Amino acid sequence: MIPSMVVLAILATSAGFYISLKQSQTKLEQNNIAEGLFWPNPKQLLEFNTTDNNGELFGLKQIEEKWSFIFFGYTNCPDICPITMSVMADTYKRIKNEYKNVQVIFVTVDPERDDTEKLNSYVSFFDSQFIGLNGSPQIKNSLTKQIGVAFYHDDKKGNYLVDHSASIFVIDPKMRLVSKLSPPHNSEEIIKKFKKIKRFIDEKS
Amino acid sequence: MKKVSFILFILFFFSYINNISAEDHSKIEITNLWISEAPKNASVLVAYATFKNNSTLPISLNNISSLLFSSIEIHKTIIKDDIASMERFSTLEIPPKSSVEFLPGDYHLMLFNPKKPMIIGSAPELLFTFSDGSKIYLEAKIKKRDINNKSHHH
Repeated sequence: MIPSMVVLAILATSAGFYISLKQSQTKLEQNNIAEGLFWPNPKQLLEFNTTDNNGELFGLKQIEEKWSFIFFGYTNCPDICPITMSVMADTYKRIKNEYKNVQVIFVTVDPERDDTEKLNSYVSFFDSQFIGLNGSPQIKNSLTKQIGVAFYHDDKKGNYLVDHSASIFVIDPKMRLVSKLSPPHNSEEIIKKFKKIKRFIDEKS
Repeated sequence: MKKVSFILFILFFFSYINNISAEDHSKIEITNLWISEAPKNASVLVAYATFKNNSTLPISLNNISSLLFSSIEIHKTIIKDDIASMERFSTLEIPPKSSVEFLPGDYHLMLFNPKKPMIIGSAPELLFTFSDGSKIYLEAKIKKRDINNKSHHH
């Protein structure tokens, strides 16, 4: 009786030890990959319907099977938005041949002023392949809401400014929010982090 | 005699004007004034520059204007907890014997509603007015943003 209790206790302790070891390994792995990795339990995106910079419908289908880098900003933002978009243009130029399923998406947090024409001219200025999305709060399950992006403006009189997230969000081909890249951004760092994230997600799949 | 005194007067006058402008320019210097190239229908552009105060007293940049923009404002980008916001300054003090640099991700000038497209090669003139009364007209260069410039202050 006693030996079997001992065996059970040893087994239970070993199992507990194994689980905690595994957990700390995963944590260690995560820390090694990149800060801002949402793992385990990345948020699965739900269906949404919006329009892109060409006036075409854009929803979940357009991000399926793709790695999407998403930045939220507005075209009247003169400093941080063009800095980030220029960094993303450089990043995209450097990885697009190796990774064919990468796309860069700019979602406006100022849909009142950023109409389709303005969005189109804005995103195309940085790269002809970049996608601009209408981020109207009326859109059900909009990316802004689903990703939980903060933005704020005082009033909408005159040349108003909008405070907004300066992070770049990464969605994997299974339409899961897997990472947040915090500023300051630079293309070399983004590419390094992306490769690590991709390798990690590919291994988990 | 009249002719000689007239010539002397002219010489004196020009040397006086010259001294004034030399003195004004030596107090405040603006270098590397550039506007980042932007999409053709952009309503807001951004400019960067370095302001150097060579005098022993603080001098403030009080106003910036141009015939080619509806208004120009001084702003600073602030990123806190991943949120980017901009703080507006009605004036900006340049401490004595020092420089203030306007750089991407930091202090910048917001130029509203360009009256014509600003493309590479355009040279819009801006007028800077300082607290000591001095005014500096300067042409800005339109340049492509260099993202590899590591001098961003964050």
